[in-house]
Amino acid sequence: MRVVASEVRRLCGVRSTWLVAAGALLVNAAVAAFTAARLPAGELAVPDAVRSVAAVVPVLPLPPTVLAAAVLGALAYGNEARWPGLPASRVTLGRRLGALLAKSSVVGAAAVLLAVLTLGVDALAAWLALPAGVDASTVLDPSGLPAAPFAAGGPGRPLAVFVVLAAAGGWAGLLITSLVRSAVVGILLTGALPALLEPTAGLLLHRTGRNWPVWVRELMPFQYGLDLVRDAADRTAGALDGVVVAALLAPAALLVLAAVLAQLRRRSL
Amino acid sequence: MIQITGLTKAYRRGRPPALLDLTFDARPGMVTVLLGDEGAGKSTALRLMVELERGHGLTLFDGRTYRRIRRPEREIGVLLATGRPEAGHPGQRARVHLRMLAGAVGVPVRRADDLLEQTRLAGVADHRIGTFSPGMHRRLALAAALLGNPSTLLLDAPTEGLSPGNEEWFGAFLRSFALSGGTVLATTRAPEEAAALADRVVTLDAGRLAADQPVVEFRRTRLHPEVLVRGPQMARLADLLVAQGGQVRRDGGAGLAVSGVGRTEIGELAYRNGILLHELSDRVVERPVSYPSALPSGSGRSGQVTIRTVRQGQGQGQRQDQDQEQGQGQTQDQAAAHRAPAAGQEAPDGRAAAPGEQRPVTVGRPAGPEPERPLDHRGLQAGRWAAAALAPNPPAQAQAQTQAQAQQAQTASVPAPTPPVQVPPVQMSPVAPVPTVDLTRRTPRGSSALGRTTARAAEEETVTGAGAESGAGVSEVRPGARGGERSARPDGGGAVPGLGAVDAEHLAANPTDAELLTPARIRGVGHHPAPVRPLPGRPWSVGSTGLRPAGRTERVEQAGPAEPAGRPRESEEPGEPGPPGQPGAERPGGAGAVDPRGTARRSAVGDENGSE
Repeated sequence: MRVVASEVRRLCGVRSTWLVAAGALLVNAAVAAFTAARLPAGELAVPDAVRSVAAVVPVLPLPPTVLAAAVLGALAYGNEARWPGLPASRVTLGRRLGALLAKSSVVGAAAVLLAVLTLGVDALAAWLALPAGVDASTVLDPSGLPAAPFAAGGPGRPLAVFVVLAAAGGWAGLLITSLVRSAVVGILLTGALPALLEPTAGLLLHRTGRNWPVWVRELMPFQYGLDLVRDAADRTAGALDGVVVAALLAPAALLVLAAVLAQLRRRSL
Repeated sequence: MIQITGLTKAYRRGRPPALLDLTFDARPGMVTVLLGDEGAGKSTALRLMVELERGHGLTLFDGRTYRRIRRPEREIGVLLATGRPEAGHPGQRARVHLRMLAGAVGVPVRRADDLLEQTRLAGVADHRIGTFSPGMHRRLALAAALLGNPSTLLLDAPTEGLSPGNEEWFGAFLRSFALSGGTVLATTRAPEEAAALADRVVTLDAGRLAADQPVVEFRRTRLHPEVLVRGPQMARLADLLVAQGGQVRRDGGAGLAVSGVGRTEIGELAYRNGILLHELSDRVVERPVSYPSALPSGSGRSGQVTIRTVRQGQGQGQRQDQDQEQGQGQTQDQAAAHRAPAAGQEAPDGRAAAPGEQRPVTVGRPAGPEPERPLDHRGLQAGRWAAAALAPNPPAQAQAQTQAQAQQAQTASVPAPTPPVQVPPVQMSPVAPVPTVDLTRRTPRGSSALGRTTARAAEEETVTGAGAESGAGVSEVRPGARGGERSARPDGGGAVPGLGAVDAEHLAANPTDAELLTPARIRGVGHHPAPVRPLPGRPWSVGSTGLRPAGRTERVEQAGPAEPAGRPRESEEPGEPGPPGQPGAERPGGAGAVDPRGTARRSAVGDENGSE
C-alpha cells in the first residue's frame, strides 16, 4: 500500500504525466472532430461512430489514447530505473515485484481514467463537429442506452473494449520497459506490438472459428489490423475452445513472465 | 556496527579486481571514512555492502545482511553515487520527490518537510530538481537517505559538490549524528576532508585496504602541511630555507614545496634577502601509507635481504579473527593507549627539539616489544607475504639501538643550529636513524614491492615522538582471516643489511627518482636528500603540477643547518641514495647502507657533485 501511495505521488508529481494526458486529450479531440466532420451523410453506422469517438487514426498501430497510456506506463518504469530515489531499497526481489505490481495498478487506473476522459471529450467534439446530413439517432438512441448499454450491435461494447485496451496498452508499455529499462525503447516496442500480434491473431481466429472474426470486428472497430480477418470470415467452421483463447492470451502471459524473470537477475529496477 | 568482511569484487577476463578482500568495521558512535582515489573501490565497496552488485564477502549490519533487514530504509540510510548527478527525476519538484520517497519508506509526509528544512533546501523545495546545483542534488539525496530516521548511514561521496559552507554544515551534522550513537560510513577522495570528518580513516588503494587508522594517527602520519613558494629565484631561496631548517623539494617548474618553515617566515626570509616571490601559499599534501612491516619481495632482487619480523599470535589475542570484534577493539584500544603519550609529547609545540637535546632513543615508543602491529598482508600481493618466513629478530633491534646511541652521542657534541620553527610532526631529530625496510611503495603490478630503506627509523625515534607511530600507526589494519592471522611488525630499528643495494637498484631502474635532484638544490643544500615515501595513489591524486606525483618522484631535501660535510645530523636516511648517478656506485654491496660513515661520505660526494 505504501508503494502504491508513493507511486501515485510520483505519477502526479512528474510533469510528463500531465503533458502526456493533455496532449492525448487535445489530439483526441482534434481527430474526433475531423473524423466526424468527414462522415458521410445518412444514417450513422455504429463502427463509424465508434471510430470517430475513439479518435482512431488509421496509420497509427494503436489509438492515440492507448499510445498515451503506453507512454505513461513506460515512463513509470523508465524514470524509476533512471533516477532511483532510493536505489538500495529495491535490492530484494520481493520489493521489486511489489513495485512492479504497484506500478501496474496505478498505470492501469490512470489508463482507464484517461480513456474515459478522452471518450467523453471525443464524444463532445464529434457531436459538435457532426455534419448536418448525418443521422445519429440510431447510435444515440435515448431509449436504448439506459436499458441496454452493452447490447449487441450497440456502441457500448466496443467502447468498453477500448477502455480495456487502454489499460492493456499501459501495462504493455510498463512491462516492455521493464525488460529494456529504457522508456523510449519501451514505447517504440509497444507501438510495434500490434503489427506483430494482429495478423497472428487474425490468422488464428480465421482458422478456428466462424463467428469470432465477426465479433472481433464488431468489438474492435478501431484496430485496422484486424481487417484481414473479415475477408475470410465464413470460410471455415470450427468451435471456439480453450486452446484458442489460451493462444490469444499467450503474448500477454509471455510478457508478464519475461518481466518477472528479468527481475530475478537484477538488483535494482 | 557494520562489520565488513572480505568484500571482493572480481571481474572476469583477467581484469584486476575492483576490490580485494576488504575487511574493517564501522563502529557506532564513530564516523568512519573510506579514503581513496578515484577508482580505488570506495563506491564498489558501498554497493557491495547493500548488495546492489554481485560480489564476494559479507557485510553485517548489527549481525544481519542488508537483504535480511525487514525495512532497511528505517535502519540504514544509503546515499549512493549514481551515474547521474540528479537526485531524482528532473521534472519533479524537490518536495514532491521527497514526499514520494517518504511514502515508499513509510514515514509521514511531515518528515519530508522537516528534512528539507534540515538540509537547507526548504527555500527551493518547490522548484524542479532539474534546476538544482550538484550540491543541492547531494543534499536532496542526503535528505532522502535520512527519511527513515536511520541509525546507520552509508554515504558515498557525500560532500561531492558541496560548497565549503555546506561542507562545514555537513561535518557538524555527521558529528552530531555519530555523537548520538549512530554509525556513519562515508567515502571521500580528499584526505583533508577525511581528517576533518572522520574518527577513523580507512584507506583504500586500488581495491586493497591500505590502512585503518584513528584520525589522530591519520593526521599525524598521513597529512603533511607544506608551503608552496613560486618565484624566479627559487634555488637561492631553497638554500636559505634549508639553512633555516626547512625541508624543500621542487614543485613544478619554478616552485618549491617547503615544509618545516612557516609561511610568514618564508616571506620574511625572502624579503630580507631580496628574493622575489610570485606565490606563497599553504597547502596540505597526503603522505603515503607506510606499512608496518617488512615484507619479502617476490622478485629476484631480494636475494640479500633478510626479513625479520616478530611473529605474533602468542600474546594477548593477536589471533584476530575477523569476526571477533571484541579482540579487535581491545587491540586497538591498546594501540591507542600506547600512542597517547607520544601524541601528548608532541602536542604542546610542533617544533622539534634542538639537536643538542638528549633524549632517549626510544621516546614515543612503548617499552618492550610492540604489542600490536598486525601485518596487513591483504594489501600486498599474496605471494610476497606468504613466502616470508616470519621470525623474531631481537638482536637486530638491539644492534640498532646501540648504533643510534652512538650516533646520538656524536650529535650531542655539535653546537645546536637554529632550531627550525614550526617543524612538521615528522621532523628530523638529532638521533641517528637506523635504516629499516620500508615497503610502503606500491609498485606496479609485477614489479617488486620491496621499497627502499627510508626514514622510518628516523621517524620512529625522533625526539618529538611524532614519527614514533608513523610505522605503527598504520598497523591498525587487521589481519585477514585467510592469512592465518599472522601478525608482524617491523623489527623496530632492525637494520637490514643489503637493503641499500636493493634501493640502489631500484633507483637505477627508476631514473625519474633521481632526475629530480637538480644540481641547484644539491649544490645549495649540501645534504643528501631524504626520501618522501612514494604516494600509493595515482598521479592525479597529488596536488602536483608536474606529470608525476610529487610524493612519488621527488625527494625532500633534508632539514638542517648548512654545515660542512660530515656533520652529525646527516644520517636521517642512511639508506637513501645520493645524488643522481651516485647511488649505484656508492653502495655496491648495500652493506654500507647501515654505516653512518657511508652516509657522510655520500653526502660529501653530493656536495662535490653539486658544487661549482
